[in-house]
Amino acid sequence: MHIPDAFIPIPQAAVYWIIALIFLALAVRWAKNEMDEDKIPLVAVLAAGIFALQSFNLPVTMGTSGHLVGGALAAIVLGSPFGAIFILTLVLIIQGFVFGDGGITTMGANIINMGVIGGYVGYYSFQGIKGITKNTLVSAGIAAWLACLIPSLACALEMFLAGTFPLVPGLMAMGIYHAAIGIIEGIVTAAVIYLLSQARPDLVNSTIGAEAA
Amino acid sequence: MMDNKTFLIVGLIIAIVIGVLAVFLASGDPDGLESTALMVSGQKDLTGAAPEDGNPEAVGTGTFAYESPMPDYSLGESMGAAGGLVAIVVGIFLTLLVVLGATWLVGMAGRKTKS
Repeated sequence: MHIPDAFIPIPQAAVYWIIALIFLALAVRWAKNEMDEDKIPLVAVLAAGIFALQSFNLPVTMGTSGHLVGGALAAIVLGSPFGAIFILTLVLIIQGFVFGDGGITTMGANIINMGVIGGYVGYYSFQGIKGITKNTLVSAGIAAWLACLIPSLACALEMFLAGTFPLVPGLMAMGIYHAAIGIIEGIVTAAVIYLLSQARPDLVNSTIGAEAA
Repeated sequence: MMDNKTFLIVGLIIAIVIGVLAVFLASGDPDGLESTALMVSGQKDLTGAAPEDGNPEAVGTGTFAYESPMPDYSLGESMGAAGGLVAIVVGIFLTLLVVLGATWLVGMAGRKTKS
């Protein structure tokens, strides 16, 4: 759901940038307190992995494909929505400036959708669902599905405000496509969390809950 | 349990393997946002196949344009899959460097405020 430059008029794109910068400043403050010699390799591997997985589009029928976004993954593993904002912003900067994937003026909106909304929805729905199911991987999968679907609806609203999509068809199509793409998000997120809990239980057990290992 | 260096190297290798596989196996169909753009501009049905020569950006009204050095994770048509491999590996290492640089900068600032 990387919004290209053409999809949002510059004045609106600037508003999203300002909101994104506020969250980014909070994410930097989070990183200041969290980063240590154990967390830095984890953040680096998550970012490189999310970059690679985002290039891997899988077909979801309906003439459409999709890939992991990674907001829920980053937020759950790092134990904070700010982890998602921090990582997704860096990935979006490289994708936008080097690969033309997602616009420059629209990068603020993309940071809000995938980093901020994806991170908050992923983190808090994981906590809530885990309180009910007591199962880390199932909760992470469902949270990741929501963290793909809800940002896509926010994106549809932004497209409506930009005059790019009509409201109802835009919400419907974005919702249906991302409900399907979210299944990829859910499975990949649960799989990566399982692998991390096997490789480095010391790094992730406190954030994901120890029973996954 | 892996130490930090092994974890970083293994993680990086897995990312490269995924990226290389993606060059050959990734679907060329439009993503959800592009598909929606094609639909609302009448180029595609909601559940229908993607058009061969559809242009999702036709629906946009924005005026800003930016030329990236490696558009669409490639070095252009003539380089084919080799260009795609170079682009994705460069992208993965660039991501790693930017993250390490950003965490280092943040860490430096963090120590300053703590002292």
